[in-house]
Amino acid sequence: MNLQRVLAIASKEWREIVRDRLFFTLAFVVPALLMLLFGYGLSLDVENIPFAVVDHDRSAASRDYAYRFIDSRYFQFRGYAGDERDAAQLIGSGAVRVVLVIPPQFGKTLAQGRPAAIQTLVDGSFPSRAMTTKGYVAAINAAFSLAAVAQAVSHASGLSQQEALAQLTPIALESRYLYNQSVSSIWSLAPKLIMVILMLSPPFLTALGVVREKENGSIFNIYASNVSRGEFLVGKLAPYVAISSVNILLLWLLAVLLYQVPFKGSLLFFLPATLVYVLCTTGIGLLVSVLVRTQVAAMIVTMVVTMIPAVLYSGLIIPIVSLGSGAHVVAQLMPAMYYTDIVVGCFLKGVGLMSLWRPLAVLAVYACLLFAAGYQLFSKRPNI
Amino acid sequence: MSDTIIKASGFGKQYGAQVAVQGLDLDVRRGELYGLIGPDGAGKSSLMKAVAGVLSFEHGQLEVFGQLLDSERHAEAIKGRIGLMPQGLGQNLYGDLSIEENVDFFARLRLVPRAEAAARKEQLLAITRLAAFRHRPMKQLSGGMKQKLGLVCTLIHAPQLIILDEPTTGVDPVSRRDFWAILARLIAEQGLTALVSTAYMDEASRFTRMSLLHQGRKLAEGNPAQILQQAPGWIVQCRVEPQLTAMQRLAVCWPQCEAMGPEIRLFVPEADQPAARQQVVDVLQGLECQQLDVLDAELEDVFVAMLGGKQNAATVPVDLLAHTRSELAGRELAIEAKGLGKRFGDFVAVGDVSFQVRQGEIFGLLGANGAGKTTAIKMLTGILPPSSGSGRVAGADMQQAGALIKSRIGYMSQAFSLYLDLSVVENIRLYAGIYGLDRKARDVRLQWILDMAGLHGHENALAAALPMGLRQRLALGCALVHQPRVLFLDEPTSGVDPLGRRAFWDILFRLSRQDGVALLVTTHYMSEAEHCDHLALMFAGRVVADASPQQMKQQVLTEAGQLYRVYADHAAALVSPLQAAGFANVLPYGSALHVLTPDVERLQQVLRTLGVERPPQPRPIAMEDVFVQRVSQLEAQSQGGGQP
Repeated sequence: MNLQRVLAIASKEWREIVRDRLFFTLAFVVPALLMLLFGYGLSLDVENIPFAVVDHDRSAASRDYAYRFIDSRYFQFRGYAGDERDAAQLIGSGAVRVVLVIPPQFGKTLAQGRPAAIQTLVDGSFPSRAMTTKGYVAAINAAFSLAAVAQAVSHASGLSQQEALAQLTPIALESRYLYNQSVSSIWSLAPKLIMVILMLSPPFLTALGVVREKENGSIFNIYASNVSRGEFLVGKLAPYVAISSVNILLLWLLAVLLYQVPFKGSLLFFLPATLVYVLCTTGIGLLVSVLVRTQVAAMIVTMVVTMIPAVLYSGLIIPIVSLGSGAHVVAQLMPAMYYTDIVVGCFLKGVGLMSLWRPLAVLAVYACLLFAAGYQLFSKRPNI
Repeated sequence: MSDTIIKASGFGKQYGAQVAVQGLDLDVRRGELYGLIGPDGAGKSSLMKAVAGVLSFEHGQLEVFGQLLDSERHAEAIKGRIGLMPQGLGQNLYGDLSIEENVDFFARLRLVPRAEAAARKEQLLAITRLAAFRHRPMKQLSGGMKQKLGLVCTLIHAPQLIILDEPTTGVDPVSRRDFWAILARLIAEQGLTALVSTAYMDEASRFTRMSLLHQGRKLAEGNPAQILQQAPGWIVQCRVEPQLTAMQRLAVCWPQCEAMGPEIRLFVPEADQPAARQQVVDVLQGLECQQLDVLDAELEDVFVAMLGGKQNAATVPVDLLAHTRSELAGRELAIEAKGLGKRFGDFVAVGDVSFQVRQGEIFGLLGANGAGKTTAIKMLTGILPPSSGSGRVAGADMQQAGALIKSRIGYMSQAFSLYLDLSVVENIRLYAGIYGLDRKARDVRLQWILDMAGLHGHENALAAALPMGLRQRLALGCALVHQPRVLFLDEPTSGVDPLGRRAFWDILFRLSRQDGVALLVTTHYMSEAEHCDHLALMFAGRVVADASPQQMKQQVLTEAGQLYRVYADHAAALVSPLQAAGFANVLPYGSALHVLTPDVERLQQVLRTLGVERPPQPRPIAMEDVFVQRVSQLEAQSQGGGQP
């Protein structure tokens, strides 16, 4: 390995990247932009659900029931609707996503100690959101029912309402969420976005950078000289790894400063581990670039082989354990899942090498395999 | 050390099922400027890449510097001693890097010691006259400058063998001559061996030896004289009235017959000069023969003659009935440009362009890269509004009736605007649809195009699968689907083999003469410029000459004198002493020199003092000589006397 040749290639590559406005944008602006777009756009929290009420009863009890929802931070009251037909229209137009229909005689039935039914219409077009919504409705409804029973018990037994309530719920559930106390989705999302973006950006840059030379013929300068394969690959990829290293810091700062995600682990572990991940994804770009010949093909192939694993098989949206058995196996074969463990561990759990050495080792082996394959398949004397 | 640098035996290269090169033998010796000549797809690039050790191959053996190239590891052994410049105008250079950075990169890549690299860089930049532009980014250079920079980068590590793949394709004749002069000088001074390919047949005489390639096989090999001997014959150039009748008679006897403006040029395969002349005179009996010259055959004629034996389909049968419309030719104006100008900000792309083209006339627009030809065509076709001046095209005012013009003209570009995934018939139907032809008219035109282009039997073939020549004729057919009265052709023949080019010009000639269509053509092949009735030469956005080819030649002959070819052992070394002796127009031409001078006796004297005894041979001047002489003169003027 001759250092002068490596440096010649690396500095040429660096100049081209910096002077080509499109490439420069792709290298330094796009990753940060993705972090902002995904961070604000992909929030999985369900709050402020717009809803309406059809009140056929118009009694104190029915108003009391509706106020439980109106007061909740999870729901946003959009007014009373005249009848079910109006309500259906409101849901259809997207103005509200939930409608509560309170039947006539609701207050009277309750007062008589008989069970009453409330109809809930939920917009089911987005299943996971509908399920969450249904959960909120059920919880508020249960709280209302319990309060009603407690009132009846206190009335009959002479106990205070507080005591009656305590009698009725002998076991109180005390939940404490570890690692993400407020269960804020951005806390879990931002670290995973670092995983997704570092899965997309380095392979894109690498594949385009190498294939660009193939497409316009400047690769022949390399083929026709004594530069060895190793010298070329190191010199060519070094600038891209350097750019990605800058991006690691940039994304980390965005997560910590902008999204206020606590970073509980050690940067001394996180940064080298992330570098291993970047080498791994750069290796994916390298492998794509030796297999295709045009920049368009490079883009499409990179998109397919990085985007899908990064989104579906990484634990970004669906936890790995919830995947089907086939998908579970696929996820084990992709590097994204392992880095998700590392990045979430570093940010939220504050664990380090001791508990994360296994995924790190997998990534390291992955990177070595990809580079070995890229090196082996790259030929200075191809047959086309 | 052996004198053989490259030795190939039974070399063959295949891409999947497609055979690129087959059974090729090659032997290139030290110090040679060896040429590979052939059209696109002849297998030149494959061979050159294999020689450079950057392409593996399936059949035969290849030795370079005595090293057998049979593996990537063995190929590495020669790479320090070779320089490769791949195909494509400056494609292997880095657009965002300056001239100097490009050269430095190649020097560092090749591990040239710093002091040595700096010295050689200065020397090469001086020879190529690029030193003044050293900080300019490569992407802002003209085509000719890119090629010269490519050459500098290829030579920076002082290789012993350089491999240049079509270094002159897409470069105008002046830059091309410049490039060859520089290359000849470097080869002579540095003892290089060079393997160079070209698609321009007229460049063949610059090589010490060469191979003619066609469809992956070698047609002929040797020095220019040896190749000319392989198809002995003479070129007869005559001016006969009526031209069409003469053409029809001559083409029956000699298929290699073409119209060049008012003249007819044909190849007579007959070793004896008087006999060749007599045969032509006999055939033309009864017609008014105004002029008849018998000239040496050029390499391109020989190439076509050699292919002619193998491939008969090239010439289209000549119809016997002359169209009555041809009598109208020369009356109505088809294109009229009056002081057309186009500015882009401060930059004047086209200054003041005026010319006229009549119905039935073939008009050639010539000029170096960046002279403003494309901008002029874009204004005339209504794509670009002019900043000043006016013009009429096909009877419509170009200032007001851009859309009307577009419906009355046809346009065929260099890129052959065909849909490669559609079949021949589908392409034609598509264009018929675009121009709004009804079903009946469409079917009539479809038949006409298939007849005209000789595409019967290929109706359902995909455009991508057609050979270049046929594809080009299909593109012409598509441009003619709506029967335009005016046709614009922008470098219509680049990359097409000589046979295909001749067949194409045959069609153009009949379109103009029989159907009275006005044709405006741009080309970099100067041999094609001779086909035009009328030429306009553009330089720096202006028309600087506007005349027929014959008039242009005559003008140069009157101003600069007769053209002589000087044969000498080391012709390239004579350039500077001759220029010092006052001969302004001296250009290396293969192993010889071309000199334009009114005083042949003084030339002979000077040559004798330089030790050259063989007298200079007078030659008929070609359009390329005219173009180069004119443009060099203008360049000298604009550099010397303050161009505004």
